[in-house]
Amino acid sequence: MKGRCVEKIPGGKLLRVEVEVEVGILRRVLVRGDFFAHPEELFEAAEQALSGIPVVEAPEMALEKFSRRGLSLFGATPRDICEAIRKAIDAAQAT
Amino acid sequence: MRLRLLDSGAMPAALNMGLDEAVLSAVSAGRSPPTLRFYRWEPRAVSVGYFQGMTEEIDVEACYGAGIDTVRRVTGGGAVFHDAEITYSIVVPEGHPLAPADILESYRRICAGLVEGLRGLGVDAAFAPINDIVAYDSARGESRGGNPGGGKKVSGNAQTRKQGCLLQHGTVLLDVDVETMFSLLKVPKEKLKDKMIEDAKARVTGLRSLLGRDLGYAEAAKALEAGFSAAWGRAYGIELEPGSSSPEELAEGAAFAREKYSTSAWNFRR
Repeated sequence: MKGRCVEKIPGGKLLRVEVEVEVGILRRVLVRGDFFAHPEELFEAAEQALSGIPVVEAPEMALEKFSRRGLSLFGATPRDICEAIRKAIDAAQAT
Repeated sequence: MRLRLLDSGAMPAALNMGLDEAVLSAVSAGRSPPTLRFYRWEPRAVSVGYFQGMTEEIDVEACYGAGIDTVRRVTGGGAVFHDAEITYSIVVPEGHPLAPADILESYRRICAGLVEGLRGLGVDAAFAPINDIVAYDSARGESRGGNPGGGKKVSGNAQTRKQGCLLQHGTVLLDVDVETMFSLLKVPKEKLKDKMIEDAKARVTGLRSLLGRDLGYAEAAKALEAGFSAAWGRAYGIELEPGSSSPEELAEGAAFAREKYSTSAWNFRR
């Protein structure tokens, strides 16, 4: 099941999250938008680290992964991303 | 401290991005000195930020139909319609005075040169963190003092750090064609398009409108060069030294254009 969430972040940036959920497991997370993440590779590693985990653990895990040391975000906070992922998961499960 | 100054003129989108990356890898390997480069886009183009979805942001068919290039940048940020504008890119090693560890501070230091260049043209400009420069239209009674947080965006900038170097590129608008821009960007609801066009007109401006006269790429390049030179000379003792791209950079830039920036694998990767 696919779910999406589009969130306008105060300050003007836009977060677009897409998730794929399969029987309670998060299969894929894609966080798109006009934010900045340095280094970009660490952001994508955080994104990838979320696939294969139970959806109930996803928001907390997302917060941890996107808050990891060495990853700087501008235009969206780890909490913004975590919230958007949670909403996208809710949307996937409501279908 | 010297900074090589290049003026590459007009090139297609894939080559513009390819040359930025070629300069990055040459500076990183110590084959080229730290570099500031000016360029523009021909044909016109839309670039998307690294983390954006190309098809989510852009009507790719409309771009093809209008002969407008599309490309994904290595830098984050939003979609940009590159039309009447001047683009710059700068590559310096991390630790250089323009590339302190604090990313916001490096935006501020680099953009200080742009702000000074714009002021030299008679535009009341100011850095607006994270990554914009705004201008106040004195003819319309706007001023920095009277309108804090106001002003219209005249420049957008985007930075990445790779291979031990900082790459920042950005544009200064000469003119704004909001109608064409919105015919190329996907808008969430067609009904809202007119309102979005009005909002964009209220938020974005170009040098020609601010100055009330015509101004081209060459004059803008001269003005920005003077601004970078003055601001960075004063603060960090940096001297701009006109130079040319090395044959290796040109060859590698063309290779990046061909093998990366004109491929679907890159442009549609997210």
